[in-house]
Amino acid sequence: MYICDYRCKSRAVFLFLFIFLLFCIARLLYIQLFRSEYLAGIARKQHNAFVELEPRRGTIFDINLKPQAVNVAAESLYAVPNAISDSQKEHIIQSLMPILQVDRAYLKERLYRNKSFIWLARKLPPEQADAIRAMNIKGIDFIKESRRSYPNGYLGSHVIGFAGLDNTGLEGLELYYDAYLKGEPGWALVLRDARQKKLDLRQKMMMPRDGYDLVLTIDGVIQFFAERELQKAVEKYKARSASIVVMDPATGAILALANRPTFDPNSRSSDKDALRNRSVCDLFEPGSVFKIVTLAAALEEQRVSEEDKFFCENGAYKVGPHTLHDHRPHGWLTFREVIEQSSNIGTVKVAQSLGPEVIHRYVKLFGFGAKTGIDLPGEISGMTKEPRFWSKTTITAVPMGHEVGVTTLQLASAVSVIANNGVLMKPYIVAEIRDKYAQVIKEFGPVEVRRVISEETARRCRKILEGVIERGTGKMARIKGISAGGKTGTAQKIEPGGAYSHNKFVASFIGFAPVDNPQIVIAVCLDEPRPYYFGGVVAAPVFKEVAGAALKYLMTKQATRQGVDQPRQVWHEAQAAY
Amino acid sequence: MIKVHKFLIAVVAITSFAVLYVWQQTEIFRLAYAGQKKALLYQDLVDRNNYLRYNIERSASLVRLGNDVIEDKAFEMPAAYYRLVSARNPHRSLRAQQQMPQRESLVFRLFGIKRQAEAKTINP
Repeated sequence: MYICDYRCKSRAVFLFLFIFLLFCIARLLYIQLFRSEYLAGIARKQHNAFVELEPRRGTIFDINLKPQAVNVAAESLYAVPNAISDSQKEHIIQSLMPILQVDRAYLKERLYRNKSFIWLARKLPPEQADAIRAMNIKGIDFIKESRRSYPNGYLGSHVIGFAGLDNTGLEGLELYYDAYLKGEPGWALVLRDARQKKLDLRQKMMMPRDGYDLVLTIDGVIQFFAERELQKAVEKYKARSASIVVMDPATGAILALANRPTFDPNSRSSDKDALRNRSVCDLFEPGSVFKIVTLAAALEEQRVSEEDKFFCENGAYKVGPHTLHDHRPHGWLTFREVIEQSSNIGTVKVAQSLGPEVIHRYVKLFGFGAKTGIDLPGEISGMTKEPRFWSKTTITAVPMGHEVGVTTLQLASAVSVIANNGVLMKPYIVAEIRDKYAQVIKEFGPVEVRRVISEETARRCRKILEGVIERGTGKMARIKGISAGGKTGTAQKIEPGGAYSHNKFVASFIGFAPVDNPQIVIAVCLDEPRPYYFGGVVAAPVFKEVAGAALKYLMTKQATRQGVDQPRQVWHEAQAAY
Repeated sequence: MIKVHKFLIAVVAITSFAVLYVWQQTEIFRLAYAGQKKALLYQDLVDRNNYLRYNIERSASLVRLGNDVIEDKAFEMPAAYYRLVSARNPHRSLRAQQQMPQRESLVFRLFGIKRQAEAKTINP
């Protein structure tokens, strides 16, 4: 009886287990045959994560390969508001306020949102991130990102521009060459564990292509000289704004370009006015610096020679309904003296002998009224009028720099024509684009736009412009030991009603040095300087200081490149030459 | 009996293989975690190195030097090219100075003595 019971029970257990086994097998078969795709998909979603791999944004170097814009690692702070209790939120606010230097309302507004992820601060420097991490606060964490940083602060800020939070170029070269600088992001399929923590076991991946580096024609040292002297002039004469362009006349390479007001790209102010690159974006009536066009046209057309005399009407010359004035009355002046003394009446008489068509042709030949084609965003073309739209008095206005609108860069480009023996060069600011292995991807060099005047005319113009500094209105631009040529300009600004202002001026100076073989060309403009407003007083000293320092620097640099024992000799040769 | 033996051997083999496979997978993940930790540490060091380089670059920038040195101490660009020479032999040329370490190091290298310890920075 007992044995029979035992067998029955064991059979029952066996049968139960057998049925259970069959059920399991059936279930397994069902899962394997009918549900496998669905379940595998869920598993893949849980264990795999698609991650975008951020490319390195290209570095911007100056001509000496000193970095001007670099990437620095930064950590961004985020919170998980849904997972933090109210008391903890208060603790976080109290702890983060002094470190992040933000007000309580900002943090409170963010932490009390009904979200599972929110940024509290983006791209913090390591010191701040370490300080927060040391407090070991629950509910907040960091994500690594890269931050665009500019080691030289405001130096060349209008040229370099800046990139935004997402590392996209927003201004300057950062914007213009964004396609080269930003690179292409990659991606990777990584594993995730049960806690959703990423594990760096990449199943599939596409490496990101890092951005290309830019090598500029800008020389950081000359840029510094230009910025320093411009700042001094702006402070001394309380100018509203100012700009300076330093250029290599032989190639069109921009050596320095600066504007005031300026900004630090690391901590940009909300002042939109400071962000504008005035050298290429603002047009103004240039005044007497524009007389170089009449000078070159008169000599090239062989209508006038240096020693031809003009009667300057003792300072008052009636043309139509208007009376022209010189800033100082002159009687008979040679053409050379007309330019040296910047006589408006003398220049207008020369222009009248040339006629509107010739003047306009040379205005266009010198590149005014058209974009120079520089690789910077926002360049404007300036303003010139076709002769058919000229009034009877336009022939008295254009030769002395009125009724035309130009940019500082156009002025620098125009004076380069005289400095480099008569050829208009296309200004450029990027010398090379390189990959991260320093292989040159693209190279930019001098581009000749057209011949404007003959070599002989250019040489004669240089001699006359040298006289402007030696004997004329530009005496304050004289550089000790170095010959220089240039032209001063003082233009009345137009009031909103259309009349010329009597107390608002644009002071300017364009020049080159040394005269025989010009190495640099400089154009300086100051808007509304006070109390002095003459270009020869306000802008010429800026030229003198920048040109003097830059030439000494360039000679030292050249000497250093030529060899260790040669510098002294080269220096002596250079000084003897000047 | 032989069939049972074969069955047991097969079971043991399959079980061993399965255990080994699981162990291998576990090891892979354990090492991946350890490797990832080290990679993060390395990346952190590289980032800090970059940040230090950036700070050096910023400290050495002309804006800072210009404001701190040039304006305060009336610094001017040198009127002639000046060279630094050692105080012991002021007539020695720079080129001679540059060649000197090579000669010394050659002699000293024979005896396995270095002139001084040198620290090299590695570009990341």
